[in-house]
Amino acid sequence: MPQISSGQSVCFDDITIAGLVACVPPRVVENSEFEAQFGSGVADVTKMTGVQTRRWADDDVTASDLCLAAAHKLIDQLGWEADTIDALIFISQTPDYRLPATACVMQAKLGLRKGIIAFDVNLGCSAYPYGLWLASMLLSSGSAERVLLAVGDTSSRVVDSQDRATAMLFGDAGAVTALEKLPGAGRSHFILGSDGGGFQNLIIREGAFRTGEGEGQPTPSKLFMDGGEIFNFTLKAVPTLVKDLFEVSGFGSDHHDAFLFHQANTFMINHLAKKAKLPQEKVPINIGRYGNTSSATIPLLMADDLGQTLVDQETRLAMFGFGVGYSWAAASMPTQKLGCAEVICL
Amino acid sequence: MSEFYEGLAEIMEVDVSELSTDYEFGEAWDSLAVVSTIALIDEVYDKAVDIQLLQDCKTVGDIENLISKTDG
Repeated sequence: MPQISSGQSVCFDDITIAGLVACVPPRVVENSEFEAQFGSGVADVTKMTGVQTRRWADDDVTASDLCLAAAHKLIDQLGWEADTIDALIFISQTPDYRLPATACVMQAKLGLRKGIIAFDVNLGCSAYPYGLWLASMLLSSGSAERVLLAVGDTSSRVVDSQDRATAMLFGDAGAVTALEKLPGAGRSHFILGSDGGGFQNLIIREGAFRTGEGEGQPTPSKLFMDGGEIFNFTLKAVPTLVKDLFEVSGFGSDHHDAFLFHQANTFMINHLAKKAKLPQEKVPINIGRYGNTSSATIPLLMADDLGQTLVDQETRLAMFGFGVGYSWAAASMPTQKLGCAEVICL
Repeated sequence: MSEFYEGLAEIMEVDVSELSTDYEFGEAWDSLAVVSTIALIDEVYDKAVDIQLLQDCKTVGDIENLISKTDG
């Protein structure tokens, strides 16, 4: 795996996305619902984040529930027999349990074959391109012929309702992507990287096994975000990541049909796109409707804003996930006409 | 007036003529203003300033000093 300045770089041949389905909960939360609490702060924050509405799951709904609904729909639409699926990856920071892995629980609930590969990965903002890389590895190594990649989070359950920086930013969503081998599908390129030096800037301190660190924080069991530090990290990391992806793939700005940025906040995406000199019409933004859905932002963007295009046409997509960890990943991936690309409501 | 002053005036929601090196931000220098200013400095000067040092700035002059001390 060659090392470049923004991370590890690798490519795969003949891997394709067969289809994807994203699932959001039915409850729409409007900005007006926060006005009693934050007053004029709502308008200030909205100016930066761009979030007008978000979907929040009920208390008894988890990220895996959203992914299960998406997976059922996807398998049905693609006409895949359940026993032809060899692996299930679930990437989330809001799993069902501390143990077992949610992917194992999902294997049974989906009626997939016993004996498939199933495991969880703990990543957030970088989840989707990381997951596509993992799925591509399983396929290209011969470990699996067909893979389901599930990503999703119910961040609404972990935000601090008193903190205006996070309370209004996040939404809930899950998405499942079906991948398989397809001779002639073309070459995908990935770059993956990490910098744990910034781990404390986006964190939930309590709830796992390192105890006693949350003293002095107002709510250590809830999500803490240092927005300024995260923004600064993004400004340093992402422009280089974009440049490096163009370089390693040999596909520049003109050769990609869309640039899909993790929907962190509108101001940040616009700034990154401008800095990388990307044409605005190729940088879709849907955080206004869904909020920052963490691991699910990129597939939600694909299913929602690009759904029809991905079904009708072949494309090459550039994807950039970056944030919590810090962790980042980029992908330049060709797509054939997808069997299915849509958003459903739970 | 420079691109930086114009951008800063927009962030602070004041007329650009009000800004000078001695202009004090006061209470309006909140986290959103700081983040917006990081982006502005990146755009105008292609520099990523230290956020803690930027937060500590009290005047326009303080920011200008920070920018000149920061490597591009």
